[in-house]
Amino acid sequence: MSIKLTVNGDSRELDIDPDMPLLWAIRDHLRLTGTKFGCGMALCGACTVHIDGQPTRSCVTPVSATQGRQVTTIEGLATPAGRAIQAAWVDGNVPQCGYCQSGQIMSAAALLAANPHPSDADVDSAMAGNICPCATYVRIRSAIRHAAEALAAGTSAPAQG
Amino acid sequence: MTASRWLFAIALAGLVVVAAAIWYFMGPGPLTFAGTETVRLADYQGPNPSGVPSELSQSDPVTRGRYLTHAADCQACHTLEGGLPFAGGRAFKTQFGTLYSSNITPDRETGIGAWSAGDFLRAVHKGVRPDGTHLYPAFPYAAYTYLTDDDVQAIWAYLGSIPAVKNPIPANDLAFPFNQRWLMGIWSGLFNPDRRFAPNVRRTPEWNRGAYLAEGLAHCGDCHTPRNLLQALDNRRKFGGALTAGWRAYNITGHPMTGVGGWSEEDLAQYLATGHATNHGTASGPMGEAVDISLSKLTPSDIRALVAYVRSIPPIAASDFPAVRTEVADATPWSGADVTADSLGKQVFAGACAGCHGWTGTSPVMDRATLIGSRALNDPTAVNVVQMVLSGSPAGMPAFGAAYSDAEIAAVANYVTARFGAKASAVTARKVAHLRTTT
Repeated sequence: MSIKLTVNGDSRELDIDPDMPLLWAIRDHLRLTGTKFGCGMALCGACTVHIDGQPTRSCVTPVSATQGRQVTTIEGLATPAGRAIQAAWVDGNVPQCGYCQSGQIMSAAALLAANPHPSDADVDSAMAGNICPCATYVRIRSAIRHAAEALAAGTSAPAQG
Repeated sequence: MTASRWLFAIALAGLVVVAAAIWYFMGPGPLTFAGTETVRLADYQGPNPSGVPSELSQSDPVTRGRYLTHAADCQACHTLEGGLPFAGGRAFKTQFGTLYSSNITPDRETGIGAWSAGDFLRAVHKGVRPDGTHLYPAFPYAAYTYLTDDDVQAIWAYLGSIPAVKNPIPANDLAFPFNQRWLMGIWSGLFNPDRRFAPNVRRTPEWNRGAYLAEGLAHCGDCHTPRNLLQALDNRRKFGGALTAGWRAYNITGHPMTGVGGWSEEDLAQYLATGHATNHGTASGPMGEAVDISLSKLTPSDIRALVAYVRSIPPIAASDFPAVRTEVADATPWSGADVTADSLGKQVFAGACAGCHGWTGTSPVMDRATLIGSRALNDPTAVNVVQMVLSGSPAGMPAFGAAYSDAEIAAVANYVTARFGAKASAVTARKVAHLRTTT
């Protein structure tokens, strides 16, 4: 069945099952492999993408649910909040093994877009569904704080490299 | 009819109305259900149901007072969130306006440091301050009135031993006529028995200790018993469940389906002592607080006494409550009759909840996060689900009130009650907005 997807601003038509998880379509059909498969059960947050700006677990979201909506993956994250988060991630050397990090960044960018000055408690609740087996949580929290400060000061630069 | 017959008929109708009002408002007392074979405490042959448990009976008054202060849960109401214990100032939003709890530290200006022991006894038993003005019955003196003078004096000794905190309390903000304190004198005359606990000779010593703990100290009924129009406890529906401070206090009668009649004694004891029992959920909100500050500090013998007492409460069916569901939900996000694939509630659950609570409702992480069997999930109003999502739980759940909109929180509440409970709730965003203002 033909499914129309808008991912990172590009419209694509795929001949796939409408019940296919969005993550499969993104990785296997669109070859955007920055989004990771972690648990397949929305338990870990590694597969987080944005649907109309909302952080969403792509592993449990059928592609049919994204019809007519904007999907953004880590490859296309270019909002001011997204850029500030990526710059802060680079500055703070946040990733360790890196597997969970695209999901972490997507959740963090959505948080800052909705709440530009989050408290530590706001960060904890917004990031509660993103698990990092390397336990980089302290660096994640501090990078989000720095990104919020940079956004407020208007000094965030696009991530280098 | 002649004029005199008319007068007679009107007088009769008036009498009927007055009798009905008396019947409605002046219901049974909290211990009426147990029978009338009571004796004065001094005449009771069994072990003393008042005071501290035997382990502590030889200790000094301050230690005994600390135990009794914990058992009476003074701290929960007399402490502001994040504030110093007993320094007061916590706001209670009622339908009549906002009340603030008083500072009960020994500070002479803003606390009760200038009171005498007699002043304290009168306030606790009769709801009257040293200057003769009446306290509002948000202070549960109609329960504390059952305490012995010795126990009140031990609490006084303990409160005198804690550090004085200078913390002026804001004036109550109540609408007329509720801002008229003298009216509380009438309330007190009607509804405060002003009697000490009288043991029941037909019941076991353990039951009597449990009754003293539950009715005098722990004042369970203040949350769990519904109130009549004059805000007095309606003991015809004793422990039948009520909405208090924006949270639902559940039915804790012996009803097997909608009360706690189906719980084992071990489960009840574990829940009271730790705030959690396997397959019965985890205490949050005011009950979580009561466990943290009060019930978890009780000795095992007192917990057993409370269980014995709660077990004796006549069952009342909560008609708006289905029986609690015990089977787990489907193991995957794609299966289960309750699931609509692209619902907002499912999206929120996947992002924020599934990691700890699991798709089956049995937590892969910790027993305390298991949803199956929790009464909050089986409450078709989902009031406590919404409150827990908004404000989190001391058991380890973060607060999501700032992270999600009213519509998202309503959607996730309806999703989880459908997936894990007996009956789906129909919470609206407006209801969530209202619940945000109640605590």
